[in-house]
Amino acid sequence: MVAAGSKCRTCRGPAVIDLPRHNANFCAEHFLELCKRQVVKAIDHFEMLSSTDKVLVAVSGGKDSLALWDILIQLGYQADGLYIGLGIGDYSETSGQHARAFAEERGLRLIEVSLRADYGYDIPTAARATRRVPCSGCGTSKRHLFDKAAIEGGYSVLVTGHNLDDEAAVLFGNTLRWDVEYLARQLPVLPARDGFPKKVKPLVRLTERETAAWCILRGIDYLVDECPMAVGNKHLTYKAALNSIEAESPGSKAAFYLNFLENMAPLLQGHSAASTDSLHECRQCGAPTTVELCAFCRVVSKSAAHEPVPVEMLMGKGRGRR
Amino acid sequence: MLRNPRREIDVDGHRSVNALLAHLGLPRESHLVIRNGTLVPGDADLGPDDTVEVRPVISGGC
Repeated sequence: MVAAGSKCRTCRGPAVIDLPRHNANFCAEHFLELCKRQVVKAIDHFEMLSSTDKVLVAVSGGKDSLALWDILIQLGYQADGLYIGLGIGDYSETSGQHARAFAEERGLRLIEVSLRADYGYDIPTAARATRRVPCSGCGTSKRHLFDKAAIEGGYSVLVTGHNLDDEAAVLFGNTLRWDVEYLARQLPVLPARDGFPKKVKPLVRLTERETAAWCILRGIDYLVDECPMAVGNKHLTYKAALNSIEAESPGSKAAFYLNFLENMAPLLQGHSAASTDSLHECRQCGAPTTVELCAFCRVVSKSAAHEPVPVEMLMGKGRGRR
Repeated sequence: MLRNPRREIDVDGHRSVNALLAHLGLPRESHLVIRNGTLVPGDADLGPDDTVEVRPVISGGC
């Protein structure tokens, strides 16, 4: 069958994707160029990276992190990957395979950490042991291990694949609660401080439809399946709500988030406790923390002693606050 | 073929990508459509001989 005829805005060749927020269609070549331009624009505007940075990319095996790693390599950055085995059953097994295959095919370095092998627990067990939603222990574990790997590996910047939809959904949730503390630190760049690496989000100008299309057009085999423990979480509810608005008014998500950064975030400077709290070393692991025992060590101490819990026992329990 | 969860359905006749998504009740903003292995835009025509994958793009964002 022949396409009905939408044309690339740039070259008038046959389009492969329609982007209502740009009121345009694009062929593969010019869509990929558009994506790269958006990433470069984010990197330059927010001063995320310099050409001399040694970059560590947090890699999950999903579309966002693999697209990000691919784009950064194309742009000439020196970027290694970090994969954390979360122990979420088949989902984690498959995600690891995608991350490893991507790295091997391109001759890139992938550092691996396993929660079960290295720390004696996994995310389903942490959820049960801490009596928190799975996303809570997962986020705590990943943040700590990302920071640790970046600092110990001598990386100057830790890069994550949070996209425009992710950031808009978090902003939506924080705004619904007028959570000034969280709003004040929802920035695409967090500078290095007191034992924390610099952290940046170069995909904040790309939607997840666009990062998925990048992977398809670049032949990147990513994990399409959703995390079984995220099903039903509020983050997905917020995304669905924003996509309903986007369908009626294309460009709303980008305006909501990017105008927040431009107009609102400057007014919130200094409202984050993270900017004023004094940090000291965790008595167990030495990581920077505001309390005696850091959040990660609290998760480990409760979870490592707990009998392993299979993921099937916790399916669809991700209905927590983010 | 639809994903998350994976299932297969048969759809008769010709229709556009956008019409198929509407028929299935799936938002355009959160799905991509791959026809015979190639990404296609919303106005592309899908016929009875085509193999079509409807791929969701939303992730938990954790």
